[in-house]
Amino acid sequence: MNWQRRLYELMQPQRGRMLAALGLSLLASTAGIGLMAVSGHFIASMALVGAGAAAINYYTPAALVRLFAILRTGGRYAERLCGHDATLSILARLRGWLFGRLIPLAPAALAQQRGAQLLSRLRADIDTLEQSYLGLWLPSAVAACSALVVLIVAACWSGWFALLLLPLLLFAGAWLPWRLQAVHADDAAQIDRDAEALRAAWADALAGRAELTMWGAEDAFDARMEELTAQREAARARTQRGLARADAMLAACSGIALSLALLIGVLAMQQRHLDGPGLALLAMLAMAAFEPLLPLPLAWSRLAAIKAAAQRVFELADRTPAVLDPAAPAPMPQASDLHLREVWMRHAQHGEWALRGLNLDLAAGTHLALVGASGAGKSSLAQLLGRLYPYQGSVTLGGMALDQLCADDVRERLAIVEQTPYLFDASLRDNLRIAAPNAEDTTLRRVLAVAQLDEFLRELPNGLDTWVGANGVNLSGGEARRLAIARALLVDAPVLVLDEPSEGLDALTTVALYKALAVETQDRSVLLITHRLGGIAALVDEVAVIEQGRIVTRRAVEGFAAQTTDNLRDAG
Amino acid sequence: MASTEQGAAADWLRQQAQPVRRLLRNAISYGAAQSVLVCAIAWLVAQVLAQAIFAHAGLADLRWSILGVVLLVLLRAALLYRQRACSDAAGRVVTQNVQRGLRERLRQLGPRWSAGQFAGDLVTRLVDGVDTLAPYYAGYLPQAALAGLIPAVVLLAVGLREPWSALVLLLCAPLLPVFLILAGRAAAEASTRRWLRLRRLGARFMDAVSGLSTLRLYRAAEREHERVLAAGEAYRKDTMAVLRVAFLSALVMEFFATCSIAIVAVMVGFRLMSGHLGFAQGMFALLLAPEFFLPLRAMGTQRHARMEAVAAAEGLVEILAVPVAAPLVATPAVTLKTAAPGLVLRGVHASQGESGEVLRGIDLAVPAGSRLTLVGPSGGGKSSLLAAVMGLLPLESGDIEIDGHALQAAGLSTWRAQITWLPQRPHVFNGSLRDNLLLARPDADEVSIARVLRMASLDQVVAKLPLGLDTPLGERGLGLSGGELQRLAIARMCLRDAPVLLWDEPTQHLDTATATQIEHQLDQFARGRTVLRVAHRVRDLGPQEAVAVLVGGKIVEQGTVAQLRQPGTAFAALLQEDLRA
Repeated sequence: MNWQRRLYELMQPQRGRMLAALGLSLLASTAGIGLMAVSGHFIASMALVGAGAAAINYYTPAALVRLFAILRTGGRYAERLCGHDATLSILARLRGWLFGRLIPLAPAALAQQRGAQLLSRLRADIDTLEQSYLGLWLPSAVAACSALVVLIVAACWSGWFALLLLPLLLFAGAWLPWRLQAVHADDAAQIDRDAEALRAAWADALAGRAELTMWGAEDAFDARMEELTAQREAARARTQRGLARADAMLAACSGIALSLALLIGVLAMQQRHLDGPGLALLAMLAMAAFEPLLPLPLAWSRLAAIKAAAQRVFELADRTPAVLDPAAPAPMPQASDLHLREVWMRHAQHGEWALRGLNLDLAAGTHLALVGASGAGKSSLAQLLGRLYPYQGSVTLGGMALDQLCADDVRERLAIVEQTPYLFDASLRDNLRIAAPNAEDTTLRRVLAVAQLDEFLRELPNGLDTWVGANGVNLSGGEARRLAIARALLVDAPVLVLDEPSEGLDALTTVALYKALAVETQDRSVLLITHRLGGIAALVDEVAVIEQGRIVTRRAVEGFAAQTTDNLRDAG
Repeated sequence: MASTEQGAAADWLRQQAQPVRRLLRNAISYGAAQSVLVCAIAWLVAQVLAQAIFAHAGLADLRWSILGVVLLVLLRAALLYRQRACSDAAGRVVTQNVQRGLRERLRQLGPRWSAGQFAGDLVTRLVDGVDTLAPYYAGYLPQAALAGLIPAVVLLAVGLREPWSALVLLLCAPLLPVFLILAGRAAAEASTRRWLRLRRLGARFMDAVSGLSTLRLYRAAEREHERVLAAGEAYRKDTMAVLRVAFLSALVMEFFATCSIAIVAVMVGFRLMSGHLGFAQGMFALLLAPEFFLPLRAMGTQRHARMEAVAAAEGLVEILAVPVAAPLVATPAVTLKTAAPGLVLRGVHASQGESGEVLRGIDLAVPAGSRLTLVGPSGGGKSSLLAAVMGLLPLESGDIEIDGHALQAAGLSTWRAQITWLPQRPHVFNGSLRDNLLLARPDADEVSIARVLRMASLDQVVAKLPLGLDTPLGERGLGLSGGELQRLAIARMCLRDAPVLLWDEPTQHLDTATATQIEHQLDQFARGRTVLRVAHRVRDLGPQEAVAVLVGGKIVEQGTVAQLRQPGTAFAALLQEDLRA
């Protein structure tokens, strides 16, 4: 199915509003044309009376002028309202639809692009699509309809003029815009591509600044960016010149139509086919005929951008989720013990394996620490348990295979604090309530206290209403992480998975946090994922060591640190 | 606060118009010339109609006038094209100037500033923000001038032929700006509010998409989905209320303009009927009356362009206003020899932003061709010391000497050409594997590339890639694993082939076998070069390694590993901690 059809189907529920806006717009522009034509006729008739011709009925044309004037201004107003209403509805629907499609894709099927880039493009693409109705389809339809009206009116007064006006209108209203978008489609794509390249280059210029400085490569890199900018601006210049040329040709066509109206009108008057007011009407009609065509070149020059945006958005929406719920989910088991056997997992379809035949048991109520160097596969395990990535091998929860269960049911049992938890640009309260929408403030304060944030909360003048900023910028790294822990505690799940909870915390806070968590999770299982051993004995009973995607050893936490140290020393 | 920022942004926007003043002036002149042509065309048309209707003139009498209309119309189209060419060019020139200025600024701000930024937000400001500037110069500025000029020309033309109609227009003229201000202020405020809300809605949607994994883990994604739908619907209702007001003011303005034209028409009509006015004059006034209001109405659409440009400029002015440290003198006064130099640091003090004083009196010597390893707890100043040696961290006091020459005298670029550096977190640039290597040394040939790939044990990885060295890396390309990335960085370092080596933990992210292999290659590479390196893994250091222990920005111990491995030393504590981790 092509992109226009799909876009149209998405806008389908707004068809009523869209048609109403079209009708009103058409009414307004036809009234504008009528106003010009009738006033030309009226003025000429009045002048003829002044010059001695018989008196005329000037009530009808004067009433028509008033009617058209009101229809034009009022119609324009109603059309604006209706058109914007339609666009806003399209916006709401488009975003809602896309969000629904993105939910099952995150994060596995969205990982190909880096976050920031994906998002900034998505934002721009949706803006472009929203504008496709008001910016392209509406003016095109209005132009086509009003051109038809003009031709019919013209034909009533002079068939020849209508016949000559037709190719002019076709040339200016159809050929010019169509040709413009066809010729500059490549340029439009190039501008888009170069913007993308420019974004990547700026990102490099920021993140790789030290390298560029040390290699003395700043000049070369800047020159490349300059070249890229120049190339993009050159494509833009071609597009803008094309657009300016089309607009100028449209203006010329309008003038030529006026000259033709005068020429044919004067000839017709000589042959007594046309009276004086008729000539004035034709001249005014010719001038007004091209007004609805004026927005077309700009509108059509956007076609390539709209097409590209639509294709990108649809490509994204059509991706297959990495993890699908089973068609007939098994009933949730009572128990919450976890068993992993020969589990393999990777983040991309052809990527490197992050887990390589991992075996792990987490009996209900066990508190286990999973330790290992960065890149050993610790966080992959958390993502697997959260059903964000697919796996091979066997994972069972309460004896039932994990992939036979509904993912959201699993998440009710497993509360997971990610390695990089996301905080929303909202208040502390709203960030916590993501996990439990109906939680009372007292509950929120209690979990914050467990997460060692009670003192922090006391010092905030706005308390729970404190705004945390985009991805928690107003919080320190350690505060953000503890807020995420508090959020996970709200779920009240029998299994708690904590990925690097002590990151950004000092040793004292870490121990206090672990102690509080130990009390809080007395009758729950805990999987503590960390590469920092400090204080873990306060929370866990056992330690498993992961290396290159598999568990190499598991033992009681007492004396673990000392033993490992000794082992390493012996080996060294 | 917000208004002063806006004021600064608006000032900055106006300043950027300086270099394109001529282009803008030309665009305005072409626009004004067109309005003169419009008047001439209207006059000719009115003449033709008058003579055809009242003097019964035939085509033979009127053909020159009609031909005149055609010529004037074509001339006007040509002027329109020129006007657009000039104003569009102004927009592009400013865009390129601003980009250049920002690049220059980022260079001056240097790596330390860049490292502390949120890249995503900044890149959006630098690319998409800059893109919104062009319409301000191509659209708003010339249109603002023409909104004053064109009505004046039209008024003059009408006044010469039909003073009474001109009087009506003139009387309406002062009323129009009053209405424009009254209605316009409400409309501008409404549209600003709408625009801000739209941005907030967009931001909220993006926030939800960014945190989608988190939402899924808490089974909140469906709730958020409903909220996104509801927010769109609520936004529609709110906005429509605002728009009704905004469009109403536009309606009032339009109605007012239409009324003025109608007054002219009625006046002209009845004066024609009574025979007090020639048809040509009346028609001329009527044809030009709409032209009088057109440019003022066009301003409405340009206001949006200005608003967007001001918002974008605020983000850019912020970057341009970041203070820059005075650059070190860059003119080389001495020529450094190409052989490995000796390095001496004397009483080096340096501070860095919020971290405060990071180096507190460092005295250190690395003799030519020798190797010194820096160890210490994180935050002890190891990386800062490397940065100071590289000239990336300005010194508050003390000296760094290279072969007896002060660093300042040697000149930074000359000194940096002597250094090959292996960063702690190497950056992979957008481009192919080859591009990434060549950035470090643009003139490297295939033989040396193959050699460094072997040295970094990367040759087999590259051989397995279907595109080999042309495999794209970075943002869109295939990701390298942490270890492969590190090996790429090592290959890049070897390609630089300079006499001074600065390493920041070269074998991190590598498995033991590869690490040993590369360690061996690096030992060979380091022979005959001066090496200053940072090691995080103390336990891997050989007993004869020369080591300096940095704690709290000071060197607390210095010697070989064998000497320092005594109970009670800071080095021993580090070793202990490292073994435990």
